[in-house]
Amino acid sequence: MFEQLIQSIFQADFLFIIIRITAPILFAALAAVISEKAGVANIGLEGMMMITALFGFLFAYWTQSWIIGVLGAMFVGILLGLMMGFFSFKLKTDIILSGIAVNMLGAGGTIFLLNMFTGLRGNTGALVSPNILIPTIDIPLIDKIPILGEILSGHAILTYLAFIFVFLMRIFLYRTPLGLKIRAVGENPNAASSVGVSVIKMKYIAIAMSGALAGLGGAFMSMYYSQGWNQGMVAGRGFIALAAQAMGRGEPVGAMFSSLLFGLAQAMKTKVSGLRGMASYNYLIEMIPYVVTIVGLVFYAMSIKRKARKHQLRPIK
Amino acid sequence: MRDKRMVLFGFVRGAAAIALALAVGAIFIFLSSDEPFTALRYLLIGPFVSYHGGVTAFNTQNFYQVLAAMIPTIFTGLAVCVMFSANQFNLAAESCVLVGGFVGSLIGIYVNMTTGWHAVVCVLVASVVCGLIMLIPSVLKVKLGASEMVTSLMLNFVLLYIVLHFLNYHFADRSKGATMTFPFLESAKIPSIVPGNSKLTWGFVIAIIVSLLVWIFMYRTRWGYAIRMIGINESFSLYSGMNVGGTIILSSVIGGLLSGMGGSLEVLGRYNTFVWRELPGYGWTGVTIAILAKNNPGAVPLAAFFLAYLNKGCQLMSTHSDVPSEMIDIIQAAIFLFFAAEQFLSGFRQKLVVKTTREELMRTESLTATEGE
Amino acid sequence: MEAVHELVVRMEKITKIYPNGIAANRDVDFSVRKGEIHALIGENGAGKSTLMKILFGLEQPTDGAIYLNDERVNLSSPLEAISKGIGMVHQHFMLVPSLTVAENIVLGMAPKKGGLFIDYKEAVRLTREYSEKYNLFVEPDARVADIAVGMKQKVEILKALVRGAHVLILDEPTAVLTTQETVELFQELKNLREQGFTIIFISHKLKEIKELTDRITIMRAGRSVGVYDTDSITEQEISRLMVGRDVVLKMDKPEAVPGEHVLRVEDLHYVNEWGKKMLDGVSFSVRQGEIVGIAGVEGNGQRELVDILFGLKLPDSGDATVDGQSLIGLPQAQIRTLGVSYVPEDRMTFGIAQTANIQENMVSDRYRQKKFNKGPLFKMKSLNDESDRLIVDYAVLCKSRAQEVGMLSGGNIQKVVVAREFSSDPILIIADQPTRGIDVGATELIRNRLVDLSRAGAAVLLVSADLNEVMELSDNLIVMYNGQIAGYFDDGQWDDLMMGEYMLGLKRQSDDEIRRACHA
Repeated sequence: MFEQLIQSIFQADFLFIIIRITAPILFAALAAVISEKAGVANIGLEGMMMITALFGFLFAYWTQSWIIGVLGAMFVGILLGLMMGFFSFKLKTDIILSGIAVNMLGAGGTIFLLNMFTGLRGNTGALVSPNILIPTIDIPLIDKIPILGEILSGHAILTYLAFIFVFLMRIFLYRTPLGLKIRAVGENPNAASSVGVSVIKMKYIAIAMSGALAGLGGAFMSMYYSQGWNQGMVAGRGFIALAAQAMGRGEPVGAMFSSLLFGLAQAMKTKVSGLRGMASYNYLIEMIPYVVTIVGLVFYAMSIKRKARKHQLRPIK
Repeated sequence: MRDKRMVLFGFVRGAAAIALALAVGAIFIFLSSDEPFTALRYLLIGPFVSYHGGVTAFNTQNFYQVLAAMIPTIFTGLAVCVMFSANQFNLAAESCVLVGGFVGSLIGIYVNMTTGWHAVVCVLVASVVCGLIMLIPSVLKVKLGASEMVTSLMLNFVLLYIVLHFLNYHFADRSKGATMTFPFLESAKIPSIVPGNSKLTWGFVIAIIVSLLVWIFMYRTRWGYAIRMIGINESFSLYSGMNVGGTIILSSVIGGLLSGMGGSLEVLGRYNTFVWRELPGYGWTGVTIAILAKNNPGAVPLAAFFLAYLNKGCQLMSTHSDVPSEMIDIIQAAIFLFFAAEQFLSGFRQKLVVKTTREELMRTESLTATEGE
Repeated sequence: MEAVHELVVRMEKITKIYPNGIAANRDVDFSVRKGEIHALIGENGAGKSTLMKILFGLEQPTDGAIYLNDERVNLSSPLEAISKGIGMVHQHFMLVPSLTVAENIVLGMAPKKGGLFIDYKEAVRLTREYSEKYNLFVEPDARVADIAVGMKQKVEILKALVRGAHVLILDEPTAVLTTQETVELFQELKNLREQGFTIIFISHKLKEIKELTDRITIMRAGRSVGVYDTDSITEQEISRLMVGRDVVLKMDKPEAVPGEHVLRVEDLHYVNEWGKKMLDGVSFSVRQGEIVGIAGVEGNGQRELVDILFGLKLPDSGDATVDGQSLIGLPQAQIRTLGVSYVPEDRMTFGIAQTANIQENMVSDRYRQKKFNKGPLFKMKSLNDESDRLIVDYAVLCKSRAQEVGMLSGGNIQKVVVAREFSSDPILIIADQPTRGIDVGATELIRNRLVDLSRAGAAVLLVSADLNEVMELSDNLIVMYNGQIAGYFDDGQWDDLMMGEYMLGLKRQSDDEIRRACHA
């Protein structure tokens, strides 16, 4: 049994699966990174992904165009981000609570909205057709390379985009004036406002970008990964992304590596549950990514704690 | 003067928040329904009023059902109150309800005891198990500084899968089509307090009593006091010599105890076997209740009643019209957002403060003037 | 006369009432002439900072009008104030530590290349250009986290200049500076004045004001009490106008009769997280029945000393004992059990729980005691009696014990803190800035109580930036400079001139003289 497991892990398709599974988590993790850089804890990512996944799919279905679907998902994500921003920055609802509210909308509100727009209940299975799903692409040259080609080629466009965004995000944060302002707002809002940088505006921009990225994650889920929208589809990825952000020290590249770790855990799950004799452990295997998240968070917290040493006995506000 | 005005302002604000949230709900109903007025009628007054051939009457069964629906949410509401009071955004009440229900069920099925004691033992063991579970996020928070919010969210999934695993592979009744446990022993069931099918059990009475006890705990004992002070200002509490870490852990464990109690009372009161296959959502409702009750355990039954009423209204609405019952989540999210919004109507509040301060200044000045003479 | 001078800033009848009901400014008139250095002076809480925040667009006035160059303006944000040529250097630096000096300077107006990216080279060039033009030396590439305080201040001034400020507001700029840095700053400011800049200088330090400024506006209790040419008014007069009475009377306090040693501090060393030596071999003791005062410019190690004594920081070496028992590494609960009580400097963060009521705030250190509990329950009557007694004893002005503490005035809030800390039968009281920013009545009450307690046998360690306060209250006085004790005085023969010399590092006693602080 164990040998089987080892065998199936050391195969190109396993690495392919990891990349595929990582992509939506990575989008959400980048969404967490950008908002956290501006000092905004976006715990509404889970709900954002649910809602954008639904709207992405619906837009794609209505227009029969996957591109409009993806853009629509991003647009809805931005709207949700701005809504959270309005309540938290303007009306001073605790940002955690705004996040929870968005998650509520994501849980039940989506079912209501799906019903309202289509009359369907629970999932969109009846509406799926190939032309509204995100296409996969073979990368020329690389797809000819044995093994590497199998791993890297043939992914959905959005999968590549997720990894490209890691580096774009890095450049954005560290090389552009807007990125500089966002980091300044997150690190010392008083400093930013003292030179006329609008803290609120930067936070709005960050959470809107966060929403757009969550939208990409959502679109990826409903228009590629699950091939249609269903209720239990996001399954905590928004929350896992928060953990990936924290473990990745809030940096895009760090978040990518922790996302890959979670991708690995989930890929293991699909692999292991397919093995003979393991079937009756399927639920425990499904638990793995969440346990990994807790363990990862604990290690991260321990490393922070070690750094704090003697100086921070004074409670940090 | 200032205080009285502010209390009044608090009421106005709360009412306005709820009204706005209902208005949001109404907008969605008008957008989605062909028969919006029927839908609205069922949503707003359906739970209590029944029509029979043009005769309106108070609907007792529905009323009992609304009360029955409060049982688990009062407990999760209280649990969240206690944890939020300590400023712990611990969201694991959601899964503790499930675990509490499951553990209570197992004891209700596999342990033979005398009537009366059996149910008590089921509920107590379920509570203790959930209390212990809450040690995980709280100890990690206190000892390592790991965000209790993220760990508790992850814990929700972990516990769900553990329960599903045991339910499916160890305790399932294979003779049934669906996955469920064997039936509870009669001695483990929570008896009803009213005739009929409303499931209004002694659990409700216990919930009300526990609300009172939790209020006493929070406002009349040293532990509750410490929890509240830590929630308001952790630095202050630390400087005053309180055991901040221990108190945070205590608040989480109590949150677990209460959620487990709610879960087991609900399952043993409402069902004959354990049938939950997903997270029941009561934890999230508990968060809304705690927000509505402003973390005051005394107000929890009221908030729970309000939400149970709305929920029942949504169910009736979906039965009698074309609007789905998940509407409740939209209304709940809206209530949540407006109610928790500190600055909601703040312009109005600022005007009140300015007015009051001016009056006070004038009064003190005229006083000093007379003294000077 | 007035008409001859061009007024760059004119604020008329400014009133500001905060959401918590505190009236920080009431009908304040304030104006500044072009090209002058104008001092704004007043006690803590007199409303200077609020007035300047309004001028810089950080706060909106409840009432009143602002004119810049005779044009009525509405300054709804710092951005607007900046665009109209106003720059502010805050008391707490508004810098982003992880960014470089150049990045901080161009933040919000970064030069671009390729339309999209920051032109970092240009940012550095700009920094250099201004740095040279105004003779304010900084290192453009250094991370702000790594540079010295004096340089941070220059970065702040440059930030304002680069943005085209011609009116500079400096909020207590010398509070954090060394003597040398202060001398440099004054030179730089005079230089800016010559180049036509207008400077508003907020300070508590009369000598600096006399040395540097042209005119003075004095504020007291939220109002302006007068504008004067600096040359035409003496320090005595300024001081009287500030506090509203002749320079504080000497307190009549009975002679101290020191008893046993209570607190012993032995050779404390502490290096902070940025590697700066904050405590460098500090030793002294405090005995029963005496008040030992610690004077010094803020930032010379007092903060760290107090934090170590109350278990908030760990020293690198050295020890501190109360009645022979070491405090180092103990949690606050145990430090309090030893009989230590503490009046924290930052009362809103550490002294009270704002949204809790007065009673809850008064019993936070003793709610576990037997007399307040019966089994698991509180004895509400005992708690009520205790808080009612304290409210009366300390003359806390409030409606009832159930009133929210955050709704009280600053002075009454501090009375709540002090009532709690002084009434626990402490053998050692650490009072850190006990009267900062509160009204005269509350100040007097707190000072009298402190003396009473010490005469009743408590050991008192008083740390205060208010020189008058330490000089009046202390039986023995320690001056700290640069992490060390610079002088120890036990003869009651001190005055502010003499203190100033030690506080500013101009003088230092011999090691033998300093060792007397241990009373060995």
